[in-house]
Amino acid sequence: MSTGIRRHRIRRWQPALWVGAAALLLSACGAAPSTASKGGKGPIVIGASLSLSGDFSADGQAFQRGYELWAAYVNSHGGLLGRKVKLDIVSDASSPTQVVTNYQTLISLDHVNLVFGPFSTLLTVPSSKVAARYGYAFVEGAGGAPLAFAAGLHNMFDVSLPVKDDLVPFAQWIASLPASERPKTAAYPTSNDPFTEPQLPVAERILQAAGVRTVYSRVFPAEVTDYTPIADQVAARHAQVVLLGSVDVPTVSAFIQAFAQQHYNPKAFIATAGPDQGAAFVNAVGANNTGGVMVPNGWYPGFKNAASQAMVQAYIAKYGGTPSGVNSDVAEAYSVGQVVAQAVEATHSLNNAKIIAYLHSGVVLQSVQGPVQFDSLGENGKAVAFAFQWIHGTLTQVLPTNAPGSSPPVYPKPPWGS
Amino acid sequence: MLPRAAGLGLLLLGLGALPLVLSNPTYTSIAIFTLIYMTAATSWNTFAGYSGYIPLGHVVFFGSGAYTLAVAAQDWHLVGGYGMFLLIPLAGLVAGLLALPFGLVALRTRRHTFVVITIAIMFIFQLLAFNLGVTNGSSGIQIPTPLWPAATFNDPFYYITLGILILAVATSWFVRRSRFGLQLLAIRDDEDRARGLGVRTGRVKLTAFVISAIPVGMVGAMYAYFIGQIFPQFAFDPLFDVSVALMVFFGGLGTVAGPLLGAVVLEPLQQYLTLQFSIGDLYLIIYGVVFLAVILLMPRGVVPSTRDWLRARRTGRPDAPEVEGDTDRAAEVAAHTGSPT
Amino acid sequence: MAALYGAVIDGILTGGVYALMAAGLTLIFGVMDIINIAQGVLVVLAAYLSYFLSIRFGLDLFVGLLVTIPVLFLLGVAVEWLFIRRLRSQEKTAMSILVTYAVAIIIEGVLSVTFGVNYVQLHGWYVTRSFQLLGFYLPYIYVFGFLLAAALLAVLFVILYRTRFGRSVRASLQNRTAAQLIGVNVARVSTLTFGLGVAVTAAGGMIFGATNAFNPNSGYDLISRLLAIVILGGLGSIGGALAAAVAMLVVEDVVAVIWSPVWSDVVFFVALVAVLLIRPVGLFGRAAARAQ
Repeated sequence: MSTGIRRHRIRRWQPALWVGAAALLLSACGAAPSTASKGGKGPIVIGASLSLSGDFSADGQAFQRGYELWAAYVNSHGGLLGRKVKLDIVSDASSPTQVVTNYQTLISLDHVNLVFGPFSTLLTVPSSKVAARYGYAFVEGAGGAPLAFAAGLHNMFDVSLPVKDDLVPFAQWIASLPASERPKTAAYPTSNDPFTEPQLPVAERILQAAGVRTVYSRVFPAEVTDYTPIADQVAARHAQVVLLGSVDVPTVSAFIQAFAQQHYNPKAFIATAGPDQGAAFVNAVGANNTGGVMVPNGWYPGFKNAASQAMVQAYIAKYGGTPSGVNSDVAEAYSVGQVVAQAVEATHSLNNAKIIAYLHSGVVLQSVQGPVQFDSLGENGKAVAFAFQWIHGTLTQVLPTNAPGSSPPVYPKPPWGS
Repeated sequence: MLPRAAGLGLLLLGLGALPLVLSNPTYTSIAIFTLIYMTAATSWNTFAGYSGYIPLGHVVFFGSGAYTLAVAAQDWHLVGGYGMFLLIPLAGLVAGLLALPFGLVALRTRRHTFVVITIAIMFIFQLLAFNLGVTNGSSGIQIPTPLWPAATFNDPFYYITLGILILAVATSWFVRRSRFGLQLLAIRDDEDRARGLGVRTGRVKLTAFVISAIPVGMVGAMYAYFIGQIFPQFAFDPLFDVSVALMVFFGGLGTVAGPLLGAVVLEPLQQYLTLQFSIGDLYLIIYGVVFLAVILLMPRGVVPSTRDWLRARRTGRPDAPEVEGDTDRAAEVAAHTGSPT
Repeated sequence: MAALYGAVIDGILTGGVYALMAAGLTLIFGVMDIINIAQGVLVVLAAYLSYFLSIRFGLDLFVGLLVTIPVLFLLGVAVEWLFIRRLRSQEKTAMSILVTYAVAIIIEGVLSVTFGVNYVQLHGWYVTRSFQLLGFYLPYIYVFGFLLAAALLAVLFVILYRTRFGRSVRASLQNRTAAQLIGVNVARVSTLTFGLGVAVTAAGGMIFGATNAFNPNSGYDLISRLLAIVILGGLGSIGGALAAAVAMLVVEDVVAVIWSPVWSDVVFFVALVAVLLIRPVGLFGRAAARAQ
């Protein structure tokens, strides 16, 4: 998902560029940063720093698509306050050093009217502190780990689902199964990561209360390059349900591969991130191994929401592919744009102080991910946690079972390779 | 001597006045990161450039300094403000103390083995930061940020980092000119011979290692305070040392001015280009190609190459290389120490 | 107890994969005295070549090696000839880190532009299947990988110990100057060795890509572990690399079972430091090979 933090080691020194680079520098100076117009009829400029290269690049580029799709939509529907919207997106190469410089540039040099957040919890806090200093509202879609809210920043708002309750619908569903069908044992392997680690204890408490015994609960390093022994260990415990705290596709695909090799097929398998990555997930694990795999999230491409469906259509028109190939990052970014747009229209201004006050007022806003309402910490209290399952090659909404649009989950999950 | 002193004074004056001239926070922000890297490169060079050992684990000191500030601020419930800067000497002290056991272990080996041992120790520290309770693991630590106005927010950070840099450069300069520095250079030329001539190589190397660790720890703390949040993978970034080595080699290994020049050119350019050319992956290729071209054209770094060129012009001889490598430094040291050969 | 045996088996099998990825590095490192930071990215490049062949032409991964090995050999020769040989002997080790890092960045950039940044993985019937032996499921891909490692290491062994070229390589490994004196063309040997080292990586990359999802950025996590393996095994020692890789993975996997996965890397690096303090030349390095 996306509210996550992908890979760990940060490659900030996307190096060195030297003598010849002086020439580039000159040309860069020539292309002076656009100065947003303060009033009048010029475009409204919105700045954002995204990880277009480096560790978070897969998510960063998906976020860019989301922001651009939103801007295209707004501009084709009369703009914002009657003015066109122009995005000023710069790259931070997945580096906290760069992201700090970037937001200062966007605000103090480019004089953007508004800013949107970057990708990843790791970059959210440093950049929102910069924005706070200038009194800018900082709406973001991918910084939902509890540590981001612990900073207590008044200007930060996360439109997406707060991370810690992600697994609750899944755990409650397992707990609600009739005793005869309910799994007896569960495994909770998780990556050492601020995005995954808070999620599993919440789920474990619910399952233990329902009599599901924990047979494996260990943290593995974020930078592990070989998951086989960890996955084999989980397989050896024969847990009937596996809750995997993963941040990316390689983790999930390594576990699935090892499970298949060990002929170990849990009754239910959910991974906190990875299965939501659309085509990238299917390509990595192979289409015949996706069946029954679940992922918690606030959004999926088949979401029954008119704006969401229009966004998916626009995505396919622009980038090709099928609805299942759309990454949830796109929706998170798109939601940021929608929320800010509603605040601007409601306050009828680009005044960030007014926007912050409005977002804190308890008003309920709409986004492609569903309703948004911020609590005092800037968390989206209205976000509904869903769980999605890959069924016949399509990511399908299955939980909560009584939610509109949910199909019945496939349980137990079909064996690997079928 | 006089023109050099005047040049130095001018440089200091210029650095001191920079935030007044380029007052926009974008520029002072880039300048702070540049000063941090100038300090790190200078200190790294104080050990590596003079001793010939290539450590790829100095980020241990950077990260330890960062965590010293973060943990102290958290445990003592400090609030953002000038008081936090008092933690910076503490960060330097912690880094220096850690350098003792680190150096004692790593400096028993040489060459490749030394390189790999420093990498291994670096990973041990990163993994400890991920797994120990005191560092708060993967969730990192929030650091209180001062409530200063945005327009001048960066200035205190700038001037205090500049102070650390001056300390580091002065150290490097004194080491270079001291008998201690001569002993280090003798070790670089031929360690066994230096020992044979009475240089207490173990003690000399360890001292240099500790000296070079302290400013790195201090700027690590500065970095953490400025960013406002610290995570294991940023505090102990495996590529930190590669970046620093790059700056040192670019400017000229073993010179005082080289690392400064390397950092001054590379860090702002890096930040500025990333900012300006946010166009996907093509720039990786451009960077790599330019980078290769410079290494191959100026293999010894800008400062020594330029010095050779100037000397060649003065003497009228084409390509007269600096004869540094030919001096018998070990014998020189022996003469100084007066030890029996 | 079964979990412990399982961990040992896992360690041995995955150790074979790491040996394949590290073999080229130890050859290059040993003979040429340079640290090839690009090794990790070369593994990923090899994986992408296999990916391209299997997606575009439907080639089996192992058959594809007949193409990828020669291609990487030529690439290695070109890199050595263009960049590495231009380095001055003084500070060559340190400079090689920078040069190969630049090469790594370029390769990463080319891969990103060509294939994008989304994760992919190699597929074949043997990738997710396994067979049972003494109550343990052995994945075909790891067994094949281990056999491939053994076969390639045997070939390398024959090249190094049964051919004229091998004699030249070994002579250069022990003492460059002396080798030159007895008429070895050290420059040519270096070029071919670099090519050979990169060529072997083709096999390591293919197995890596079949056991891990990867993207152009995946190589960086590998390089520190590969460096650790070749130093632990002893520079230039192919067998040492295999032994070190297996030892490292077994230690890690066993620690993951009896203690916790998060401490397995710490234990490994601590063990590495300890071994190097006792034997600075590594497990199978020759003490006299170089004035270390």
